[in-house]
Amino acid sequence: MRKLVLTFLPAVCAALLAGCGTDAHYVNASGNQLVTTVEQVNIQDFANAADAMTASLIDREINTGDLRSGVPGDKALLAISLIKNETGEQFDTDLLVKKIRVALLQTGKIYATTTGGFGGPEDPVAAANQTTARRPDYTLSGKIIETRAQSGDLRQSAFVFQLSLTSAGNGVAVWEDEKTIVKQGTRPAVGF
Amino acid sequence: MKKTFLFLLALPALAGCMSSVNSVEPAQPTVTAQAVVDKRVVTDPDLDNVAHIIGVYTSTGPEGFLRVELQVQNLMHAPRSFTYRFEWKDQNGMTIDLPTSTTIPVTLQGRETTALVTMAPTPLAKDFRVTFFPSK
Repeated sequence: MRKLVLTFLPAVCAALLAGCGTDAHYVNASGNQLVTTVEQVNIQDFANAADAMTASLIDREINTGDLRSGVPGDKALLAISLIKNETGEQFDTDLLVKKIRVALLQTGKIYATTTGGFGGPEDPVAAANQTTARRPDYTLSGKIIETRAQSGDLRQSAFVFQLSLTSAGNGVAVWEDEKTIVKQGTRPAVGF
Repeated sequence: MKKTFLFLLALPALAGCMSSVNSVEPAQPTVTAQAVVDKRVVTDPDLDNVAHIIGVYTSTGPEGFLRVELQVQNLMHAPRSFTYRFEWKDQNGMTIDLPTSTTIPVTLQGRETTALVTMAPTPLAKDFRVTFFPSK
């Protein structure tokens, strides 16, 4: 009897362990089932920061009618300037900026240029075929900063998103805001 | 006797788990926001105790963007968390898709009230819905 159990035990354990795994599946990118990690900026953090920044920009600059265009009767033109990543993680800042730019375009009050901005044209074909050049009315610049803290097993990471909207003509910041996302978690007893 | 003694020993620890807030504001508010008559669908009474909606207020700016504010209170006596998401609809009742659409986490202390504020993404957004989720 004992030999019988020992013979089939590994197979039974393997079958049980296989059943414990989770098959790959899709989750809603704007839902609340996303994985949250302490030491990384997660996709929902970028969306959260972009949502807050866009709402602030609309509330304080666009909805008040303070946005000015260099071309009378036309929408204001926005160019993306330097967005610094000063966190310990390497990521593309477009994960934040593109969301904001798309949302601002949806307001119907602003255009964005893809042929002029920090690092060169985003669309080199459009830049090469451009027949008229319009100077941007505003530029968007900013920084993402990370600070960490630890107390015993409790780890905390704070990601500070800072953005400024500058009037390109005179270099004056007409809007600025900061959004801080703080995450806490405990280090597991076993493992990394 | 032993059970009573153990219960009395646990009381201080239990008291540490409950932390509610005190607040103060003018007895006669100088300004009153425009309240919206809302329709609520409560399928989770426990979540409603954590994120209880006191009122829904709106205003429209000069450029036609809708500003929405929800006054939400944690009815429990201990800190609780939840997430919420705004969805916007245009004048035809169609949902406006946004790249910034996401669930936003909130933690409220016991009996704390907070304001969930957001701006419509476009002047064409005329209606909205807010969905609340329990914290994971």
